[in-house]
Amino acid sequence: MEDVLALKEKIKTMMVENLMLQVTAAEISDDLPLFGPGGLGLDSVDALQLVVALDKNFGLKIPDPATAKVVLLSVNTIADAVQKKLASA
Amino acid sequence: MSLRVILITGANGGLGQAIARSFLTESPDNFIWLGVRARRDAAERLIAEFPDRCQCVELEVTQPNSWKSAVEKILAQHQRLDVLVNNAGKHEDGLLATMPPSAWSEVIAANLDATFHGCQAVMTPMISQRSGRIVNIASLSALLAPAGQTNYAAAKAGVVALTQSLAKEVARMNITVNVVCPGFVETEAVAAMNPEERKGAQSRIPMRRFGKPEEIAAAVRFLACADASYITGSVLKIDGGIF
Repeated sequence: MEDVLALKEKIKTMMVENLMLQVTAAEISDDLPLFGPGGLGLDSVDALQLVVALDKNFGLKIPDPATAKVVLLSVNTIADAVQKKLASA
Repeated sequence: MSLRVILITGANGGLGQAIARSFLTESPDNFIWLGVRARRDAAERLIAEFPDRCQCVELEVTQPNSWKSAVEKILAQHQRLDVLVNNAGKHEDGLLATMPPSAWSEVIAANLDATFHGCQAVMTPMISQRSGRIVNIASLSALLAPAGQTNYAAAKAGVVALTQSLAKEVARMNITVNVVCPGFVETEAVAAMNPEERKGAQSRIPMRRFGKPEEIAAAVRFLACADASYITGSVLKIDGGIF
């Protein structure tokens, strides 16, 4: 459980640093939608950076837009994908 | 200054050679990858002159897989890629009414498709580094669209538009993308003109002379340097005053 929390914190910190967000990691809730109104407000360029950062930091590859739509919904969905990737390694 | 890794396509040609030489003389920290196809005699001479400072890499610019292999090779050796100069290109002039479709598609592929593939190939490493410089070589034909160059002018105009659009996409990642539009430059194409054509062309240039490859290379080098950090999406024509 602690590992999952640490992983989510790491993902949030990575997002704040890589995407130069004007919020702190603590302000991003686990289930906050990353895109669209009412969420974190990321755009397609942020998505591109996020894909590269996830590959660089966690070895998580997002090969196509369909996968991105499933994985990049929130910190929760990203953490799930990273955990699955780590478990299969 | 630390190592800067630079990839130049069309590096065996006159302009490619001048650009490579310009980077080599700019700083001993610059390492140049010379993108070449079958012909590499001039590139090999440059390597002999600057051993340990440059190296050839096989690159068929119209093929995405070739780009992938070339970039992988560079990253395997240097773990970074700082500058891409999309210089390779070709022209096959003729009136549209009689232009074979192959002359259209090949020129579009060699100039526009190649630039797309090149930019795409370096995106991941440059985004990962959060820095990069891309300089595309278009042509004054992109802006003036002379008769007899529908294919080439369209391709180079596409390079200009690609540059401006991509510049907006990657600006926040500290990657700049600019395009240079040379006019008449003393390279293979101008050398192939007959004396009458040369005279006619020069009469249309306010400076009354053709540009030197080194004069184009200097602009490319500047756009790739640290001092050009706030210049992106720019279209720089270098043409002795035509327009």
